[in-house]
Amino acid sequence: MKTIREGLIILAISIVSGAVAFLIHPKAPSLSASDLELELEQVRELGSVFWVDARADEDFESGHLDGAISLNEERWEELLLGFLDSWGADDPIVVYCSSQACLRSREVAERLQEELGVEDIYVLKGGWERLLEAGMVSEGSQ
Amino acid sequence: MKWIGRTAEGLVGVVFAWAGFLKLLDPQAFVSSILTYEVFSYQVAVVCALVVPYLEIVTGVCLALGVLKSGSRLMAFGMLVVFVLLLAQAAIRGLDADCGCFGHQSGAESGYAWPIARDALMLAGLAIGLVFERLSRETESE
Repeated sequence: MKTIREGLIILAISIVSGAVAFLIHPKAPSLSASDLELELEQVRELGSVFWVDARADEDFESGHLDGAISLNEERWEELLLGFLDSWGADDPIVVYCSSQACLRSREVAERLQEELGVEDIYVLKGGWERLLEAGMVSEGSQ
Repeated sequence: MKWIGRTAEGLVGVVFAWAGFLKLLDPQAFVSSILTYEVFSYQVAVVCALVVPYLEIVTGVCLALGVLKSGSRLMAFGMLVVFVLLLAQAAIRGLDADCGCFGHQSGAESGYAWPIARDALMLAGLAIGLVFERLSRETESE
């Protein structure tokens, strides 16, 4: 009984600390970010979309989806200009990064929402790996 | 004899606290690592990324200082078992999971053998602590 009680005390301290970190940690992940996620099939239903590649520059250079624009946090200021030049504001934006575990696409999508007020923006579930799987890109495709 | 058990538990505690501290530096990176195991949904991964580092730190500090002893042993044992199961399932499924065991520090780690062996060593440390405490208690009572 004592063991369980002590374990619960440790757990309670950790949960409270985690909740505080969620509120104040500068790198706290967002719980709602996944609401932006769309399966590739759902993206297809959107019709014409504006693709944004959130991967690192070297990954983009070695291959990207045809028509996609590179926009990542490392060179945000520089790449944003290119993004604004290309984006027509009519088509929904779909951001992808390397895989399901990658958070870069969520970060880019959230930043576009915050800084430009973009509402019609989504994150591709599975990212580049899903595009490869669907045959929409191949390794090294330009 | 008791010091052998205390030392073993203290070392396990220090490793836990250090691992938790490193994860705490970048919860977003830890979310990415958790998602690579392909077990948890995004929301669960976020909650784990916020709570687990504190759980490790509190458990580690308690183990090292010998406070809430039985509770911290229980939590440490539980976490290590879960970590081993997660690593084992990733190995069996052939996933390229990012251990995330020590935050960014573990980025260069490849394969599952060493992380599983390390967790097994930590479990052994807990067992040594328990056994030597019992032995010294019995010796004192005789």
